[in-house]
Parts: sequence; structure tokens; C-alpha cells
Amino acid sequence: MLAMIAANMLRRRGRTALTALGVAVGVMTVVALLSVTGGLSRSAGDLAKLGRADFGVFQGGLSDLTASSLPDSIVSRVAAQAGVASAVPIQIVPHAIARDSSILVFGANPNGILGRRLVLVSGRLPRGQQLLVGVGAAKQLHAAVGGTITVSGQSFPVAGIYRSGISLEDNGVVLPLAVTQRISGRTGAISMIAVSVAPGYRDVEVERRIERAIPGTLSLGDPSEVARVDTNSRVITKAAIIIAVLALLLGAVVVVNTMAMSVIERRQQFGLLAVVGWSRARVASLILGEAIAVSLVGAAAGLALGALASELVVGALAAGTFVSPAVTMWVLARGVLVGLALGVTGALFSVWRVMQGPTLRAISG
Amino acid sequence: MLIYGIRSRKRDDRLLQSPSGAAVSVEDVSRCFGTIQALSHVSLNVAPGEVLAVTGRSGSGKSTLLNLIGGLDHPDGGRIRIDGEPVWERPGTGTARRELVGFVFQQHLLMSELNARANVEVPLIGAGIPAGRRRRRALELLDEVDLGDRAEHLPSMLSGGERQRVAVARALANSPRLLLADEPTGALDSLTASAIVELLLRLRDRRGMTVIIVSYDPEVHYRANRTVTLLDGSIARPTVGVDPGGGG
Repeated sequence: MLAMIAANMLRRRGRTALTALGVAVGVMTVVALLSVTGGLSRSAGDLAKLGRADFGVFQGGLSDLTASSLPDSIVSRVAAQAGVASAVPIQIVPHAIARDSSILVFGANPNGILGRRLVLVSGRLPRGQQLLVGVGAAKQLHAAVGGTITVSGQSFPVAGIYRSGISLEDNGVVLPLAVTQRISGRTGAISMIAVSVAPGYRDVEVERRIERAIPGTLSLGDPSEVARVDTNSRVITKAAIIIAVLALLLGAVVVVNTMAMSVIERRQQFGLLAVVGWSRARVASLILGEAIAVSLVGAAAGLALGALASELVVGALAAGTFVSPAVTMWVLARGVLVGLALGVTGALFSVWRVMQGPTLRAISG
Repeated sequence: MLIYGIRSRKRDDRLLQSPSGAAVSVEDVSRCFGTIQALSHVSLNVAPGEVLAVTGRSGSGKSTLLNLIGGLDHPDGGRIRIDGEPVWERPGTGTARRELVGFVFQQHLLMSELNARANVEVPLIGAGIPAGRRRRRALELLDEVDLGDRAEHLPSMLSGGERQRVAVARALANSPRLLLADEPTGALDSLTASAIVELLLRLRDRRGMTVIIVSYDPEVHYRANRTVTLLDGSIARPTVGVDPGGGG
């Protein structure tokens, strides 16, 4: 049976390649979109973990958490809540670096808790109007210690380069909060408060307490919860699902068409198999076996192309700061499942045709 | 319809058995394709081990009769029995066809991407025979049709006669009791055709199979035990001698 499957695939190389291509297109799209949306969700989740906090306090009712705006006067109220070990105000300033608008500028006290949690890979902690730059942003901006980075038209000396392990932070720049408030024209405003929970308290319990104590705020600690609240992420994820479904439909049409054509071409062969005593189930298993083999070839190509495409798309859109494609094993597994589903779905129509077709008509060609 | 046939040239006691002992029993069978009456109330018995030749003009219903006997088609009326059993009316015709019937067609219908051995193995795959046994059996069968040295050749590397021999070996793969051949020599030159007829008769003698051959070839008619002529869906030739199947 395996020899027959291999022989049939090799005999019709063009058709095999076309079928595999249909599967590959579907798998590639799914893998790329799952990777990108997964990365997007992770980036959204990173917001809640800025400064290695347990959770973040944001302005409630927003569709985009980076647009959150809170008065810095509430920092002390948050810090006063039971279970709060530290409350660090952070301002997020998007589009402040002209050379790469995807790099976020974080306003925080670099010498405070936030600064102490950043691991300096070169340079030292900043003084005055110096800044720290994350490893990712430094690479993108070709920045080095001793050089300068222009933020909102103003040059700031680079005191150090840090790595935090959080993608959003590593692709950002940290300036003193007072500076970002001045250059953004939002004096007295912050974007969020990074909260660390004291030992003996549960994160959720403290989050709810803050929300009750300070109406209009939203406490988020679970990255998946952030992605759910962040309307932009949700919209993008839904759009990605729609695109993936369309790609799958396109792939399915290609696969169904090529496999149906293949069955029509091979009607005589299937008729002969029936004549020599193959049961219809065995003929069907031959077709399904071929479909699975072609699907695996297509899925393998689709996985590689999908991983590559996700990087290319993010790079082309200069969205590396917000999205780091998450090509996880689960994403790849789903890609393989999609590929197999495409191939098997395409084969089902062919199987049905073979099961319906009278042996005699088939054998007579 | 009454059964007629020409006198058997190689009479055998088995040919004089009663219809109940027939290898193949065709009982008042009719088959229509739209408005065309391909077969009309045909009755015929074929004794075990008999070689029956079926002839007639194009469109006379020869192949239709063969297809009905082999269970590739179903009659609109009447009944086909193999070894006394209406096997094609039961579920699992694939298994019955595999165990009872081997087919040889005018076109060899070999799979071009498979070599001779693999082509002979195809029915054995359908029977679920393990790979090792399949391979040995296919090689034995190719030896039996004098193609042992061509086992690894693709059909494109074989002559017309050799391809037909592979098709015969494939038909014998599951040791059928009944071999049905639809113009097996129709696409061959006379010398090659003669060799194929010789092969079929030799295999019949060795295996004791019943053989029904649809053919225009005079040599087939000469060497068969009996010839039945079909005309417009009915058996036409008046009887000459004894009906070996005892029908009618």
C-alpha cells in the first residue's frame, strides 16, 4: 500500500505539487497569523508586566491600553492599599522616536525600582537627562553607550543598555518620568502603575481591592486577560482568524479540485482495484493515504514558509516592538493539523466519488 | 432461453454434470442499458473446469454477459450463480470477487508506475496478504507465466504479450476458481495471441479452473470445450451435439 501511495505521488508530480501547494498556502497562512497574533497577545500581556510587576493598573474602559492616562496623584493611593509592596508610575509615549516610530518610550524613574530590575548589559544607570535603551531598540537604532538618541526632537545621551526579558521593554527606551511628561505635554499624567504584591497576598485579591478603592481603574495581571481587554488586539486577532479562514477555504478549493481531478483521471485504476477484489474501504484508504502523505509534504513546506512569513510581515510593517512572532510548538502542531484536515477534507469528496462510482463504468475507462 | 452450443472438441466427464453442479449458472438473465436490450433472457451453464468461448458480433452482449458473471454488473432480471450460490446478490462482493474470479481484459490495465511484480501484488494487497508473502507469491506467479526474469520491469519495458502475461498472473493472484477473459488476444499479433491462449489452457489444466473467454479468435474457439454465440443479446447458434452444461 505504501509503495502504491509513493508510486502514485511520484508518477503525478505536478498534481502532487499542486495539491501540496494548496495545503502549504493554508498552513503557511495559519502558522503566520497564529504566530503574529500570538506575539501580539504576548506583547499586550507584556504591558501588564512592565517593570517586572505582578500587575499593572490602567485607566478603565479603553480600547488601547497604551492610550491609558491616569493622574500621577493616585500612585500614593495605590501604594497605600493593603498588599501593595511597591507602586511604580510609568508613562508610555508612543511615536516619539522619529527613526523608528514603533519603539516605545517609557517614562519612569530609572534609579527607582524599575531601574533596579533592568539588567544593564553595558554602561551604567542614567543621571539627569540621560536615558537607558533596551537591547532590541539599541540594535534597531544602532545606539551605543555614549551616543545619543533623539526623542521628540530632543537628543538624549545613552547612559546604558539593558535587557529585561520583556520584549516590549527590550524594544523601548527609558527616560525619567518628568522628562517624558514634559516632551509629551502631559504633565502630571502617567499611563500605568506597575504594582508588586507583598508576600502573603494574592495578586487577584489586591487587583480587586485597588479597582474598588479607585473607581475608573483597571488592574490587569494575566497576559491573556490583557489581550482580551485590549480591543485592538481583539480586532486584529479576529481579522487574522477571518484571513486564516479565507486562506483555508482557498487551500481547500485547490486541494478538493486537484484531488477530484486526480480521481477522475484514475477512475480506471480504481475500477481495476475493485475488479481484483479490493473493497471500497481499501480503495478509500488508498486515496486517504495519498491525501495524508501529500498533506504532510504540504504542511512541512507550510510550516517553514509560515515561520518565515511571520517574521517578514512583522519586519515589513516595522512592528517588531509590538509584535514578536510566537512560533510555538502548539502553533506548529495546529499548522500540521490544519494541513491534514485540508488534505483529508479534499480527499473525502474523492472518496465519495469512488464509493459511488460503478466498477464497470470505471474499468471500461 | 434454451442453451445452445457447438460440440466440445475435448469432452470431459465433468462437462456432463447436472446444472446444480455447474461452476457458473446463468438463469434467464436480462440486462438493459437505457433503451438498448444488451441481454435478453439468457440461460447458460458452465461446468467446472470447462473452457467456454463466447463469440458474437460487436454489441451482441458478450462483454455484458462476462461482466454479469464476474459480478461487475448486475442483471435487471434473472440470476447468476457461481458454484450454485448467487454470490453477487450478497454483501461483500469484493471479497467474493477476489476469492472466486480472476479477470483478464483486452487492454492489460497494468499500473504503469508499478513493475511487473508489484502489479501482480495488487490483488494480494486487497486480500491483506503480508508484504513478504505477497512478494514470494507474485514471483511464483510470474514464473508460472514465464516472466520470472521480468519481475522488476515496468510495463513500458515489456512487450504486448508480456504485459498480457503479467495481467494473467495478476488475475491468478488469489487462486480464483473462475477465470474470465474479455478478448485477451484482441490487441495482440497472431503469434503472441496463440501463446496467450496456450498459456490460459495450460493454467486451466494445471489449476483446474473454469475459464470463460470472450473472443473473435478462431483458435480460441477451436481449443475451447464449447463455443456459445450471442446475437442481439440472445444465444443464437443452433445446438450441435450435447449441451455440456445440461441447461435448457
